Amino acid sequence: MDRAVGEIAWRPPRACEDYWSEFRHCKSFKNWFHYYYTYGTVPSCQQWKEDYHNCRDWEKHRGTEAKEALRRSEKIRVAEQRNFIPVWQLRQEPPRDWHVPLNQEKPQDS
Amino acid sequence: MDQTKQEEEYGYDLFPDRKPGEHKKTSIAESLFTFNYKCRVMLQFAVETSPYAKLLLSAMKSSGCKVFKDRHFSCEDCDGTVSGGFDAASSQIVLCQNNIHQQHHMNRVVTHELIHAFDHCRAHVDWFNNFRHLACSEIRAANLSGDCSFTNEVARFNFGFKRHHQECVRGRALRSILAVRKISRAEAEKIVDEVFDSCFNDHAPFGRIPHSKGDADFAYRDYMNRDRYYANL
Repeated sequence: MDRAVGEIAWRPPRACEDYWSEFRHCKSFKNWFHYYYTYGTVPSCQQWKEDYHNCRDWEKHRGTEAKEALRRSEKIRVAEQRNFIPVWQLRQEPPRDWHVPLNQEKPQDS
Repeated sequence: MDQTKQEEEYGYDLFPDRKPGEHKKTSIAESLFTFNYKCRVMLQFAVETSPYAKLLLSAMKSSGCKVFKDRHFSCEDCDGTVSGGFDAASSQIVLCQNNIHQQHHMNRVVTHELIHAFDHCRAHVDWFNNFRHLACSEIRAANLSGDCSFTNEVARFNFGFKRHHQECVRGRALRSILAVRKISRAEAEKIVDEVFDSCFNDHAPFGRIPHSKGDADFAYRDYMNRDRYYANL
C-alpha cells in the first residue's frame, strides 16, 4: 500500500449515479433548448457518459487509468468554470457590517 | 440638499421608505390582508422551497454572511415597476411588496437580489463609485436568476431564440444600471460591453447557468457535494 496511515482513500469526485443523471439531463430536449437559447450551439454530452463508465470501472477494478481519466475530466470542468478574469477583488473576510443591527448603524439622536 | 442628491444619484428615490440614514421599524400590528404580510409569506416560501435561494443562502453562510430574514430582508412599497433592490449601506435586500404579487416572481426577485448580496459578501464590490462592479453584478444577476429565461422573455413579448439569452442579459443589466445611476445610455452600454465576457462566465455559486428548477436542483446537489468533489480532484 502506498497510502500513508490515516489518509482518506480516494473516491470519484461525484457518485457514479450523478454522472449518469448529468448525462441524461444533458441529452434532454429541455437542456438542448436552453443551451441553444444561451450559446447558439448544441451541447456536448459525451464526456458525462465517459465519466460514468470510468466511475463504474473504478468501482469494479480500482484501476489507476480510470481514476486519472476522471480526475483529468473534472479538472477541465473546474478550469472551464474559472476561465475569466474577475472584475473585482475577492474578500478574505466577510463585510464587517453584515451583522450589525440596523438601529446601531447610525448614532442615536436622543 | 446633499441627502436629496445622494438619494437620486444612488437610486434611493425608487425606494421612498428607505431614506439614507433612517431605518423604519415595522409596525407590530400589521393586518393579515396587507401587501406587507403577503410579501413576507411569499418570501418565507421562497427561501424554504426555491433551490436557487437555498443554494445562495448556503453559499452566503459558508462565506460568513449568514442571512437572517428579519435583518436582511425588508418588504416595502417602491416607486414605479421596480421589483426589488440590494442596499449595500444597510446590507438589506428590499422586496417591493406593491409590485410582487405572484410566488414565481418573488422567487426570481429573491434570487436576483441574493446574487447581489452574495457578490457583496465575497468580493470588494464598490457599488457606489465603480460602474464596472455594478454592471458585473447586474449581468450575473440577470444571467443566473432566471430573469432571462425563454418563457419570461416571451411574456415580455421579446421573441428571440438563438443566443437570445445573452441579448436579454445585456439589456436587463443596462436597464438596471440606468434605473439607479445618472449616466448616459451610451456610457452604460460601453461599461456593460467591457465587463460582459468576464461576468457572464462567472457562474458562482451555481457552477452553471441554472435555466430551470431542474438545473438549480443539480447545482444545489453539486454545492452540497463540494467537499467530496474538491477533496478528490
